[in-house]
Amino acid sequence: MSDSSPGAVPAGAFSRRALLAAAVAGTAAVAAGCTSSDGDTADAVTPAQVDRLAEQVAVQAALVAAYDRASAGSAEVATEVAVLAAQARAQLERLVAAAPGAAADPTAGPSSAPGDPAGVRALLRAEVGRAAAAHAAACPDFTGARAALLGSIAAGLRGAEGRLA
Amino acid sequence: MADGESTPTSGRTAVGPEEAALQDALAAAHVAVWGYGVVGAALPGTDREPADVALAAHRDVRDEVAGLLDARGVDPVPAEAAYALPFPVLSPVDAAALAVTLEDGVAAAWAWVLDQAGERSTRAWAVVVLADAEVRAVAWRAAAGLTPVTTAFPGLPGS
Repeated sequence: MSDSSPGAVPAGAFSRRALLAAAVAGTAAVAAGCTSSDGDTADAVTPAQVDRLAEQVAVQAALVAAYDRASAGSAEVATEVAVLAAQARAQLERLVAAAPGAAADPTAGPSSAPGDPAGVRALLRAEVGRAAAAHAAACPDFTGARAALLGSIAAGLRGAEGRLA
Repeated sequence: MADGESTPTSGRTAVGPEEAALQDALAAAHVAVWGYGVVGAALPGTDREPADVALAAHRDVRDEVAGLLDARGVDPVPAEAAYALPFPVLSPVDAAALAVTLEDGVAAAWAWVLDQAGERSTRAWAVVVLADAEVRAVAWRAAAGLTPVTTAFPGLPGS
């Protein structure tokens, strides 16, 4: 046996993951105007990217709103999707922090949801799939921590989509 | 080649941040390919299909990353002869937990590729690989009895 191990993969990646965390935190700080962005060209954003990030915030806000409406329409579904809804909200918060000047619009999203649990789940699954596709499509347009954040959120939503099947 | 400083190595060419991250992703793929052999061996024959499918996926990614690095004049990092398990794998639940560890390791590596890649095409590829890893991880977390089975930020620290 060598000294390497599957368990050592996360451990080996830890320092880099820690750096990534710092990068994401730095992005949020820059977005909030807490620090200067000099020297971090990878995380600098163009006006077009600012608009694109605002679009992704709107996509995620619509998803959060869809979870809220689905949960209001079915107690059974509300229980089932509580964790997924909380994760979607956490994703929205991180996106807002990474998007200069963006704010979440909680009123976005579909205006109604079917009342039967199966229909609600199907609607939610479609919403989650759309959001995942949108974030995945936007991800390559960014570099650095924002690319990692969008890609990670897209991946997380793909996982959630599977749970709603 | 990604932007940023290049680091001379013993390979054929200097390694930039993108190639260094891809090397990490390749190393994670090597571990996953080896680890899924253990996962499959611990599962009943009738339940091995997900492990076989995952193994094939990681082999494909491994070969693609190695080919990309080679095309860029970088010597792909080789696999170790064997790896030490992070815990004993004595049951199907243990196997599922190991699969989660493998997929989480791969996800972390590809999130780092996203962070480091200068090439748009690399980022477009990375987001697909990262999502595939998380979809598999969700299924394995359920099989392992872990909760929650989903994560908000796969591959990112603290996820």
